[in-house]
Amino acid sequence: MSFEKEPFNQISPSEFFYRNRDLAGFSNPTRSIYTSIRELVENSLDACDQNGILPNIFINITSVNQQQSDPKYYILTVSDNGPGVDPKHVPLAFGTVLYGSKFGLKQARGMFGLGATMAILYGQITTNTPVHVNSSIDGRNQHEYEMLLDIQKNKPIIIKHVVNKTKKKGLAISICLEGDYSKAGSKIRDYIYQTSLITPYASIKFHDPKGNKYKYDKITKSIPRPPTITKPHPYGIDVETLRRLISETSYKIPNLNKNILEKINKELKMHNDDHRNSNDGKIMKAIKKRWSYLSTQTKIILAIMSCLKLNFDQAMQIKVDDIDIMNNTLTYLDYNKSKSFTIKLDRSNFYYKYLANEVKGDSLSIFLTKQFQRVGRHTAEKFAEFAQFKPEKRIMMMTNQELVHLSDSLQKFTDFLSPDPSCLAPLGENLLRQGIKKFFNPDFIFVIQRKASAYSGFPFIVELGVAYGGSIKGTKLYRFANRIPLLYDESSDVVFKIINDIDWNRYKIKNDSPLIIVSHICSTRIPYKTVGKENVADRNEIERELKLALQFLARKLSSYMSKKGKAAMEKKRVDLYFTYIPLISKFCTELSNNLQEPNYKKIFNEIN
Amino acid sequence: MRYKETKKNKLLYDLLKNHGVKIYEDLDNGVFPKFLIPSRSTRNIIYDRKLRQYVLGNSASIRNSKNISQLRSFTQLTWLAFFANRLIKEKKSSTLRDIYYSSQAFSIDFEDQPESDNIIVDLESVLSRPREDLHIFPEERSSVFGDLVIEYTVPGYEGKRTNLSDHPDGYLIGPSLSSAELIETSADLVIAIEKGGLFTRFVEEQVDKKFKSIIIDTAGQAPRSTRYLLRRLHEELNLPVVILTDGDVYGEHIAMVIKSGSANAAHLRELTVPDAKWIGVWASDIEKYKLPTIPMTESDIKRIHDLKKDPRYQQGIWKNELDVFLKIKRKAELEAFSKYGLTNITDKYLPQKLEMAKSL
Repeated sequence: MSFEKEPFNQISPSEFFYRNRDLAGFSNPTRSIYTSIRELVENSLDACDQNGILPNIFINITSVNQQQSDPKYYILTVSDNGPGVDPKHVPLAFGTVLYGSKFGLKQARGMFGLGATMAILYGQITTNTPVHVNSSIDGRNQHEYEMLLDIQKNKPIIIKHVVNKTKKKGLAISICLEGDYSKAGSKIRDYIYQTSLITPYASIKFHDPKGNKYKYDKITKSIPRPPTITKPHPYGIDVETLRRLISETSYKIPNLNKNILEKINKELKMHNDDHRNSNDGKIMKAIKKRWSYLSTQTKIILAIMSCLKLNFDQAMQIKVDDIDIMNNTLTYLDYNKSKSFTIKLDRSNFYYKYLANEVKGDSLSIFLTKQFQRVGRHTAEKFAEFAQFKPEKRIMMMTNQELVHLSDSLQKFTDFLSPDPSCLAPLGENLLRQGIKKFFNPDFIFVIQRKASAYSGFPFIVELGVAYGGSIKGTKLYRFANRIPLLYDESSDVVFKIINDIDWNRYKIKNDSPLIIVSHICSTRIPYKTVGKENVADRNEIERELKLALQFLARKLSSYMSKKGKAAMEKKRVDLYFTYIPLISKFCTELSNNLQEPNYKKIFNEIN
Repeated sequence: MRYKETKKNKLLYDLLKNHGVKIYEDLDNGVFPKFLIPSRSTRNIIYDRKLRQYVLGNSASIRNSKNISQLRSFTQLTWLAFFANRLIKEKKSSTLRDIYYSSQAFSIDFEDQPESDNIIVDLESVLSRPREDLHIFPEERSSVFGDLVIEYTVPGYEGKRTNLSDHPDGYLIGPSLSSAELIETSADLVIAIEKGGLFTRFVEEQVDKKFKSIIIDTAGQAPRSTRYLLRRLHEELNLPVVILTDGDVYGEHIAMVIKSGSANAAHLRELTVPDAKWIGVWASDIEKYKLPTIPMTESDIKRIHDLKKDPRYQQGIWKNELDVFLKIKRKAELEAFSKYGLTNITDKYLPQKLEMAKSL
């Protein structure tokens, strides 16, 4: 065995996705054109939702060469009336991979805003054509960019950037890509149809390359409440996230600069001149007097200055690297001397004590209440007892092992409140009902939104609608997750499983009834079974909510059916009288030797 | 004589009309019309010792046109009365199957013939009249032969007379014969015989002349028209009736039905000949005449046990012969006499049994 050195090269995220593009749904021309549309449309809808704008989306696909056969080059354009993207962010947003605004914890269609760039990347590698992005955030100036992605460097190459006049806000992206519309067409049309069903407040127009035009107008002007960003829930946390939370939120040793100095002066009610005119003792007096009113940042800086016996000018020349509590030492870099110094500090010093206290970080119970949603002091203390930590245990003083134990215990503790659903944006019963009514024109319709629940720390809400009769033919299930239609792989989806588990005979519903079931699962993280985002995995908590919702609707439907059955019976009953009584009348007239029939109409009054 | 038949029709006609008037008035008054139908359930079938036949008890059910589940059959029943009324008026007859099909011309749909047959029995119950009076006949036909002059009343034949000994195959007992007037006869006796083969033999052997009799082929269980004719021969012409059947439990019961009716027809009168006599073949004859026999089947034996519970089989030859059948567990057909020559039955057996019958 040889120990030849393997060259390890870093690759850019663009390159990673270029090499693994089938992961993101760009495996072949049929899927790619479909996925591209999805990503762009979902980006537009998300942007509009978050800004409370009723979306107008226009999707246009034209083929570059009509005569050519599929797969061939298509120009795909998706434009919206959303807020647009700030022109200075456009090159980064659409010219690099992993530049997105969706890292917070809230419900959105896309997770990281990766998709649009992926579509652009795919277009570029199949047709070697730049992407066109038109964005206007003010409704006056429209910035038009034409650019390519430098895949290896993960950087945009701007070919053209002009500013045009416009009257409308919004974003339009135009990609030239290789696709197979003849194969992907029905899937794309299904996607657009179902998207407009679950987004009844959006108008969506679609012109396909064959000259067909599809138009779905908004059927309501009420937009569901946009989701808010929330803190994480303890159940959804792992060690790595925990570590990030701690480092993100713990104190930072600030470096003194002019800006900070101004703030300090303000807090101390001093001027720069005062520093020179006053002796140190006077300043220290002032500091001590106002100590409890000062900000943490100021206190830390003043404490360091005091420990190192520095004045403000000197303090601006150093950078504190580390404070070692165990050994009572402080290490700093002196810019002037370009050298590191480690100084032993006096443990009994008031300012050192303060500094040490800050370094140790928050106590466990304060950390929990500050950093997690729906954790109060009481819960935090109960948790500490459960995890066998002292509630006042300092978070920065935890060893690696203790952090692992903390993370494990957070998953196991059962007394946390369920996650805050305010980060979710369900459609709402009203909108769902309106959508179903418009699309299927049924005789019966009932919808339910279950209250929020959670699986592994991720909140979710199940919305379900059932429609029966009217223009409906046959039984069909429409599945949605975070307002995205799930089109394929129905049979392995959790909703499908629940529907099949129910004994429909019990609810007087026969096979192949004219029945539509619409399911919508909202969550900050939908547990998809596969990367293709086509089916939701069967988590117990989700199953339970779906089942309860479906049973509720089935009961409603069943009582509707029996009412309908009774009405039909009643009608049949009355019909029977109308059929037979005249016959009886006719027969008895001849039988009784009468010439005129009896006035039997009176009898019908008694029936009704 | 002619008056009798006409009067009967008039009575029936009035009966139907009365029902029609009742329904008509109910409808006119805004009331749902209803029929009272005597119940034909087994619990309501009682043996009447005085009448010597099965009759229906007092329980009856109401067929109300207001009740949605009875509306259809009520209409069917009304239609049937209406249709029978037409049949009688126009002097036409109809078979059970005809009824089933005729209904369709009046938007009355019977699901199948059993349903229409059932409605016919309903009407019989309501009117206490056999369907034959309503000019409705089954397909089954039996025959009659002998010196009997009849006068037809059916349209086209009114007043025409026939002697029932004119045709050696006998005359079908059909609607026209059933409604004919019985004019005159030289016979002193009616012999009802279960089997067509023996009926032909009896005609060939001139049993009609030798025993001054009218011979009737019942063709198994006697149809109602045949029973009706037997009764009329007995009632109107004062002729005694004797019955000759196979020597088994079914034969014995054929005789009993002629004599005292069936449970199925408990709602009807005038179909029985209470004085009729079963003269053979008895179980005891099997040994006495050393007839060739066939072993009884299980269902034969079960039938004996069933009949032993019947009040009419509790005494006399009826009880005795059942017991003997049960003892020997064998049966013999009328043809069994052929072992001793084809005419053995008419030359030997019949005279002996007729002689014996006088003492029954």
